Amino acid sequence: MIFRFEKMIPLPMLEQDTADSEIWEAESLLLEQGKSYVIEAPSGRGKTSLLSVMYGIRTDYRGKVFLDNSNITSFTWREWSVLRKKRLSIIFQGLELFDDLTALENIQLKNNITGHVSNEKIGELADALDMDPYLHRKAGILSFGQQQRVAILRALVQPFDFLLADECFSHMDRENTLKAYQLIQQECEVRNAGLVLTSLNETELPGAEVRLKL
Amino acid sequence: MRLLYQILWKDHSRSHLLWAFLGTLAGFVLLLAGIQFYIDIKSVLSENRDLLDPEYIVINKKVNIAQTLGLSRVGFTEEEIEEIALQPFADQVAPFLSNEFPVSGYTENERFPDFYTDLFFEAIPNEFIDVKSEEWLWDPDEGKIPIIIPQDYLNLYNFGFAPSQGLPQIPKGVISMINFKLRLQGKGRYDDYSGQIVGFSNRIHSILVPLDFLKWANDRYGYFDKSNPSQVILVSKNPTDPSIVRFLEEKGYDTIREKLKSSRMNIILKLIISFLVVVAAIIIGLAFLVFLLSLQLMISRSSDKIRRLHKLGFHYREISRPYILLLLVLMTAVTGFSLIITSLLAGKFHTMAQEWSLNISPSLHGILFGVSVGLIALISLANVAAILVSTKKLCQ
Repeated sequence: MIFRFEKMIPLPMLEQDTADSEIWEAESLLLEQGKSYVIEAPSGRGKTSLLSVMYGIRTDYRGKVFLDNSNITSFTWREWSVLRKKRLSIIFQGLELFDDLTALENIQLKNNITGHVSNEKIGELADALDMDPYLHRKAGILSFGQQQRVAILRALVQPFDFLLADECFSHMDRENTLKAYQLIQQECEVRNAGLVLTSLNETELPGAEVRLKL
Repeated sequence: MRLLYQILWKDHSRSHLLWAFLGTLAGFVLLLAGIQFYIDIKSVLSENRDLLDPEYIVINKKVNIAQTLGLSRVGFTEEEIEEIALQPFADQVAPFLSNEFPVSGYTENERFPDFYTDLFFEAIPNEFIDVKSEEWLWDPDEGKIPIIIPQDYLNLYNFGFAPSQGLPQIPKGVISMINFKLRLQGKGRYDDYSGQIVGFSNRIHSILVPLDFLKWANDRYGYFDKSNPSQVILVSKNPTDPSIVRFLEEKGYDTIREKLKSSRMNIILKLIISFLVVVAAIIIGLAFLVFLLSLQLMISRSSDKIRRLHKLGFHYREISRPYILLLLVLMTAVTGFSLIITSLLAGKFHTMAQEWSLNISPSLHGILFGVSVGLIALISLANVAAILVSTKKLCQ
């Protein structure tokens, strides 16, 4: 799976000075499956916009975005739905968890769509992030850092060719961040998937192949 | 997909859905019961009709003041008789023939007080007369005139006139033995004939003589102006037909109302049933709206969740499913319950009708299943479409 951007820029970004951006209005930018990209930028530079465009929930941009040589504006509802179930996974900055469901149910909700992993596997993944004791608590009463880990786990229980992670470590300490990052990398490797990770700070994330400035 | 249902059903408004459910149920029971009883009563009416002979209806024009003053004559013109004959409910029509000469009757009997009266005759074809008698024959050589009088006349004499005047009551059999004379006059001659009452009619309120006699007598004595017949008799094999009453009212004709009871009952029945159907339709319409609005409210309360689910990769059709399932469960329940309640009502009505010895079906008519399933399908389809449209809109 390859994303190709041609002179793409979200309309709200037009008002900003984007001269030093390596992404906005780039002649031709490729994001390829199997590689991991870290996109670092301060707030308001459009990190979330980029991921939203790639995930198909934002269409207010100029330029063109291709997914495997198809313009993504040509995708139908059903095609986007299939993409999100089988090929694209995302960790939203706003998490988008269901507060009334337990952590486990939030993860199962996603896993139920594809039945990609077993309940044991969910347990293993949760264990890797020290989330095992919190699985049966309602998502709404967990701390934001714990909720972030639930969102990460949810994004990992489906098949994907690309994982889009939007500031998913922002409320975790260094130790937990590394654990989570390691798990994400591991799961991407298993699937030979690409990773696009946005980050506010310049935390050293080992193993990131490409760093892009926004 | 238990979790999906758990998430989306959480925001339902139990009371809204309950009222919508009860409203639809009430509307359906009203509609189905209306149809059920309409079919029942209709079959009872037509059953009675089959048991009875075809109805003989005597029609006359209403008498008004102009006729009293002699300004216009009461009578049916040939065109009017033709028009009556053309009506779909009229199987046979015949005008009454009247005498066109003076007639009087008197007694010549020692055992019976002297009696003299002016008379009139009318005649109609034999097939319209309910009295069958071997003596109902006119033979000019014999000169004996058979007469049929209404049963009511005899009753009037026996139970009204005779007791008050100290006269003897006369049984039917004896009356035919009384000899009396009839004097016919006109065209410069008069003749006496003997008359004999040969029967009593329950159907025709007139003094009847055989048609061939009256034609003969009119020929021989008649000198009055030929007048239009004042009465017309018609036979209807379908006296429950409501168009009979409507036709008579429209034309200003009169008849003995009793005979048209079933026709009028049919009109009233139709009115009641159409009222019931209109009320049922309004209730079902309102309940449908409440259903629609409750589901839309439920969807809009869940709008954040629906958007979130859509972002997670759920197709809007998958998101619609819990709503559609809820709708279908409720609609199936409405169909089931309304059929059960209607069949209970039908059973109750059946036992009640049996006491009046009316034969009414204790089970539901097949058409009710068709009607309820069809209507439910229609309402469900409209709701499903609305659900799909609004979830799709939220996902955009």
